[in-house]
Amino acid sequence: MDQRSTITSPDPPVTYVETELRRRRRHVLVPVLIVLALLLVVGLVVAGLGAAAAKRLTRNSTTAYPDIVAHFERGSIGADEGSGMPYWVWQALPRLFPEAFNGRTDYRAFGFLYRTDNQGRQEDLPIGISKRDYQGVDLVWFNCAVCHTGTYRTTENGTRVTVAGMPSNNLDLYRFIRFVLEAGADERLAPDTLIPAMQAAGAKLGPIERQVWRYYVIPRVREGFIQRRSRLQPFLAEQAAWGPGRVDTFNPYKLVQMKTALGAIAPGERNGASDFPSIFNQKPREGMQLHWDGNNPSLAERNLSAALGAGVTPETVDHAAIERVAAWLGDLQPPRSPHSVDPAAAERGRALYMSTCAACHGFQGPDRYQFTGGNLGKVEPNSKLGTDPGRLDSYTEAFRQRQLSELFAGTPYQFKHFVKTDGYANLPLDGLWLRGPYLHNGAVPTLRDLLAPPAQRPVAFLRGIDLIDGKNGGFVSPPCEPGRPQPQGFCYDTRLPGNGNSGHIYGTTLSATDKDDLIAYLLTF
Amino acid sequence: MIDDPIFTPLKFRNLTVKNRIFRSNISGKFDNEDGSLTQTRINWECKFAAGGVGAIISSYVPVLMEGRIIAGYATVHRDDFIPLWERLGAAVHRFDCKYIMQLSHSGRQMDMPGVHNYHRPSLSSTSRKESLHGFLCRAAGKPEIEHLVNAFAAGAWRAREAGLDGVELHAANGYLFTQFLSSGINDRTDEYGGTLQNRARFLLEVIRAIRARVGRDFHLQVKLSAVDRNNVIPWEKKGNVLADTVEVAKWCESEGADAIHVSTGSLFPHPLNPPGDFSFETIATTYDAMISSGVDAFRNFLLFRYRLLRPIFRWVWFRMKKGLPIEGVSLEEARAIKANVSVPVLNTGGYQTASFVRAGLTSGAFDGVAIARSLVANNDLVQQWAKGRDSPERPCTYCNKCLLNAPKNPMGCYELPRFASREAMIDELMTIYATRPTLNLPPVAGGPSAPELCGQRRSQLVAENA
Repeated sequence: MDQRSTITSPDPPVTYVETELRRRRRHVLVPVLIVLALLLVVGLVVAGLGAAAAKRLTRNSTTAYPDIVAHFERGSIGADEGSGMPYWVWQALPRLFPEAFNGRTDYRAFGFLYRTDNQGRQEDLPIGISKRDYQGVDLVWFNCAVCHTGTYRTTENGTRVTVAGMPSNNLDLYRFIRFVLEAGADERLAPDTLIPAMQAAGAKLGPIERQVWRYYVIPRVREGFIQRRSRLQPFLAEQAAWGPGRVDTFNPYKLVQMKTALGAIAPGERNGASDFPSIFNQKPREGMQLHWDGNNPSLAERNLSAALGAGVTPETVDHAAIERVAAWLGDLQPPRSPHSVDPAAAERGRALYMSTCAACHGFQGPDRYQFTGGNLGKVEPNSKLGTDPGRLDSYTEAFRQRQLSELFAGTPYQFKHFVKTDGYANLPLDGLWLRGPYLHNGAVPTLRDLLAPPAQRPVAFLRGIDLIDGKNGGFVSPPCEPGRPQPQGFCYDTRLPGNGNSGHIYGTTLSATDKDDLIAYLLTF
Repeated sequence: MIDDPIFTPLKFRNLTVKNRIFRSNISGKFDNEDGSLTQTRINWECKFAAGGVGAIISSYVPVLMEGRIIAGYATVHRDDFIPLWERLGAAVHRFDCKYIMQLSHSGRQMDMPGVHNYHRPSLSSTSRKESLHGFLCRAAGKPEIEHLVNAFAAGAWRAREAGLDGVELHAANGYLFTQFLSSGINDRTDEYGGTLQNRARFLLEVIRAIRARVGRDFHLQVKLSAVDRNNVIPWEKKGNVLADTVEVAKWCESEGADAIHVSTGSLFPHPLNPPGDFSFETIATTYDAMISSGVDAFRNFLLFRYRLLRPIFRWVWFRMKKGLPIEGVSLEEARAIKANVSVPVLNTGGYQTASFVRAGLTSGAFDGVAIARSLVANNDLVQQWAKGRDSPERPCTYCNKCLLNAPKNPMGCYELPRFASREAMIDELMTIYATRPTLNLPPVAGGPSAPELCGQRRSQLVAENA
């Protein structure tokens, strides 16, 4: 017993200092343990929050769609991360700016197209908008399909058919971009109004998440909008409205990606708006001079350049996603022309076409388009062609130099093949029935108008109506008077800079019957 | 040389010193644990007496065992030590040198308590621990203060009985008297705390008691810190200012003090006393001996030991030195006190240059200087001056390694570059041990009686000195 007590009780301290230190240890032990316990708890909480934050901030994922058309229409190419806005902001905008959306909660007012799911409900995002979870925030923005998916109707009240790969004849990109830039600087995008609108659109934000949005996400989004607005809006404001189905590819690219000062863009370069192209049958086009002005013979470079236009950056670009789309487009066939024509007239037209047009444009075979012809895919000098020079002049040697030296520099994707040309390329005419209006800038509404001398071509006509024109080719495009409100479509004025309908006078001197025959044949393309 | 103020005798009321140079109080652990002094101490003091100083102020001599700063310093708490001190006085007097005993009590500033003291807190004016090392203490009650007063009076009496030439009350540098005097330390609410008069009461009572015990004709001087600068640890209170000390000096004079010895700082060591450098490399090897002495000492050891932590203490220690000289660090303070008293004033603080001391004497800053560390470096400093040198050939570098070695090693100069070799330095350090004491045989039960042995020793001592 005694032995045990001597073992358990420590010897008394030798010095007074030791006595004092022992007393202090006793007094200090409990507070120290409490403090240590608190520190441990705080440490665990901090570590937990840190881990959660780290997990969130390293998140960068997007849905992979096994179906190639779904991938084309909804899959991400990296533009959402590079240039996008949060999904919930996208969904809130129609609620905050009902006047711009015709009171709808979707984006059809700008010509975006929606698919319906298998239960018949409209999808939440339009075709051409992808979604990516980046740092815990879903971001949305463009992919290839936004500019390359259109619709047609064969009759006034017929069903609207959506075609992947045809030009986006409905999308008014100009109006959409200007709206987004204005909205970005609008006071309604302040957290106090934006967050309730997001919640009305279905966002479920916890108390922490709400603070993250209020103090981090929303300020960053607005900052990005304001920055882009300051670069782009002054330029867009002085340009003629592009109208549906058109885009100025290179000028926004100069202003946003290359941060070129507006003053450094010469007045003659500023009218680059052109039609969205169709993107069928890409494989046979390899090696042709691609783009309207034929400035690049490499499909891969042309694709990457187009992706930059959609908003990817060299840091965010998803090459694999783009290459998957490109592989599919290689052999994508346009839907067969639904036009019914007099076979005899078409046969006569064919003969005419083969002798005067095919060398430059190839021709439609019984099964597939035939990509043959001595001048197919080659640039025709504009001195000879005589079409509007706006698009040609918007691509400059100075811009080309920066493209080659700055974009993807030091990576295998660095641009090498861009050239400055002096005209427009002779394009294959596959899927021609879906490609109106015609010429690179869409200045001529129908094939019949294109066979008329420039002076007789329509001065102003409506674009954006997707009813195909079985008599003249292209889409129904009634004449209009610029400045007057239209019940439907967009009044395209050929007198505005970049909109000129001159040139390509081939076939304008044919007789009326020859023209009918030729059109009959062309309607089968 | 006749006209040299340094070598003009200094006449106090009860004492005349042949020149103006005093060896200031400095000691090593030379003595026995029981407080009896040894041959080593006699050798130590004689080095300076032989070197030509006019008087030696002894090392810190505790009047009670509970007032030691470092166990191993000789004390004067017992009557039977009187003959020992008498021997020491006689040894010094042979060099025409006076010997003044510094009567001291550590209060809470007890660096190494030793076996007599380590089990209890030391007595002080306050119960708040000492700020630098965390030495623990307890505020003395009134009967204890009375006991302390009597102990000082008895110590003075023993010094006089031993034939010494005077006593100095160590009322400077943070020891017990400072702990009462300083407004930065004294937190009492009785008649020994509060106003300056109350804080000075203990010191003045001691002077009165000494005068009552030894009479008016025995030299009594008081060492005061002119300015406390008590805030070495930055959040401490600053303590007494010069005007306070001027008052205290005047009161000391009217109570019967024959001289005022002016130092500075309410701690020892203090950044300004002794002035000069602080060798971290040295203290890192010696401070371990003090870790167990205070509750904050281990913290200090870490600050001294680890290079990364040293800047903290370097800032604490060196910030006060800015703009102040080493030699004559408190000269102007001495001048201010001298202007207010009629008794002679001594000053300490880095003196090493003859012309500088001479200028101080002729300008009336002080009547004499007390030197410790410069004399440790050059025991014959005064003789070198007498031969006409202004400063010694191998001057003291003010490295303060002598100070920082004190907790562990023999007192002496540790500045290696001053010596031809390490061996030469060690040889110099060892000179104080160069003795051949008679070794006695302890008594054996049934053998020769103890008195017989003592008698034998005394006759032997007499014979040796004949």
